[in-house]
Amino acid sequence: MISITGIGWINEEEYGCILNEIKESYKDGVFPKKKIFPFSYKNIGRLDHVSRLTCAAVALALKDAGIECSPELKHDAGIISTNTSGSFDSDMLYFRDYLDSGRTLSRGNLFIYTLPSSPSGEAAIYFGLQGPLIYIAGKNNSMVNALRTAAEMLRDNEASLMLAGTAEADRAIYFVLKGECNSGGEALCNCDEVMKVLEKDLSFKELVDEFQNLRKGSKVS
Amino acid sequence: MKTVNMQDGPMFSKGEKAVVVSCDMITAYGHGVDVCWDGIMSGRTAVADIDRFGTGAFQSGSAAIVNGLKYLGKDSLVLQMFKKIFDKHSEPAPKDSALVLASTKGEIDLLEKNLLSGEGDASESNLNNLLQKVEQLAGIKGGAMVVSAACASASAALARAAAMIRSGHKDCVLVAACDSVTEFVYSGFSSLMALDKFPARPFDRSRSGLSLGEAAGFVLLMSASRASKEGRQVLGEVRGWGLSDDANHMTGPSRTGDGLSLAITKALKSAGADEKDIGFISAHGTGTLYNDTMEIKSFKSVFKMNKKPVYSIKGGLGHTMGAAGLVEMIIALKALKEKTVPATVNFKTADDDSQGWASASQRPADENKCALLTNAGFSGINAALVLA
Repeated sequence: MISITGIGWINEEEYGCILNEIKESYKDGVFPKKKIFPFSYKNIGRLDHVSRLTCAAVALALKDAGIECSPELKHDAGIISTNTSGSFDSDMLYFRDYLDSGRTLSRGNLFIYTLPSSPSGEAAIYFGLQGPLIYIAGKNNSMVNALRTAAEMLRDNEASLMLAGTAEADRAIYFVLKGECNSGGEALCNCDEVMKVLEKDLSFKELVDEFQNLRKGSKVS
Repeated sequence: MKTVNMQDGPMFSKGEKAVVVSCDMITAYGHGVDVCWDGIMSGRTAVADIDRFGTGAFQSGSAAIVNGLKYLGKDSLVLQMFKKIFDKHSEPAPKDSALVLASTKGEIDLLEKNLLSGEGDASESNLNNLLQKVEQLAGIKGGAMVVSAACASASAALARAAAMIRSGHKDCVLVAACDSVTEFVYSGFSSLMALDKFPARPFDRSRSGLSLGEAAGFVLLMSASRASKEGRQVLGEVRGWGLSDDANHMTGPSRTGDGLSLAITKALKSAGADEKDIGFISAHGTGTLYNDTMEIKSFKSVFKMNKKPVYSIKGGLGHTMGAAGLVEMIIALKALKEKTVPATVNFKTADDDSQGWASASQRPADENKCALLTNAGFSGINAALVLA
């Protein structure tokens, strides 16, 4: 059985962890990097917005799952990312900037975020995630497909631990998945239950509420 | 550096073999597998000066582009390539096939057109739109997904497709891959100082960067049992795969090659093979100083003193980005069939690292051995496939 052992989420006002029942506000608009990241993230300012949200949600998910992170540690953990718009905002930013220069100056620090896999790439670098890293998309609910893909990779032992999640311009949520042969630690539920919630096509706020309710229910039972 | 949670158990479930039953592609050499193979074997490069857009501000003025495509026209460059390919195949895949589409930037020229002339809709460049177009062109309805993993996109997509078949989840998967040379992509690689002003010279002592190229193609993967039932000719097998990440740098590979070594080790384990079972290596071999050095370091780490013939096709048809793994797999399968390891186009003198691995000459491929294919991309993504 594949279990969900951590969920981290963030939007433009709040962030939290589901298993540890953390919910914090940052309505002042200042990105709370010191509260979210387990160790110094000096150059986070150079990341594009989606990458910042991705890294924050991954940080919260790993913290929720009780996974130790430090600059010295590498993990045999993969990451499957998805979203609806790919790298569209970064594509527009890069090419507009290039056109504004009179088509003479292109900026590498903008170009690197024009790949849809780049936000999870930033997370892999910061957290030392050395497993498979792919971005997937599709016309149906791609979040369910991302979780399914991560679960299949765990079942096939392609990595010891998998993360799957999504990040849009104003929100991100990431899940930590663990397989049977890597048990230990608390689990919220099995992966299928999370996929059932994701299939409901809820708003982001409703989704977080649903997982918080699931957590309360798991504690009662 | 410490790695936690490393898996010791048996890797991957035993299951159905994933075999290749059909393929086709368009590269700068032209349309078709044999045209591409002949181009590579001739030693002629398809990298040439381009006039698709102005290159005066860039590091280079050349790329390997497909003749006869209209840039910023009605259809995107990759769609024009796919239309040519699928026009030639009345039924490229059974209707129940799943589709896995690999690309980095897909129809990015639609965004360029909108920003340059106001025509069209920039958001049409979303990979999901291309996914639907390819699904329609191929006439298949078994589910579809995009896989994007930088310049390892196609090999990662092939790995996912083979995993679906091995697990019994699907018995027929069409893997399509594409990318094109546009001003967006070209200016970006130039900004990273990644382009060689001469046609790329992978593994050569004088190499100084990559040449961009464009391609589109497909591979139809089927379970061995369905292929047998349908009387399909088997062109090869995806026997194993491994994916990893360097977790090191966004645009440069790990200097140690450890990330790629991890992917290769996983691929061998997945194939139930060991180092002795590999006859030759189709390398990513971009021609950049760091990539090629990293790859050879990784090969030495896995194969020790047991040198394997290594080649790269990117001196011939350029770095086709998200399509590279698919094009390279088709050529590696052809090399297995012809029992010949291609020479590396534009390779003249080995640097100290690649001595005895890369060659300017064709070499015989060992009978009954597998091919190893490697790809790497931005974000430190690595992919390795074992082909038979």
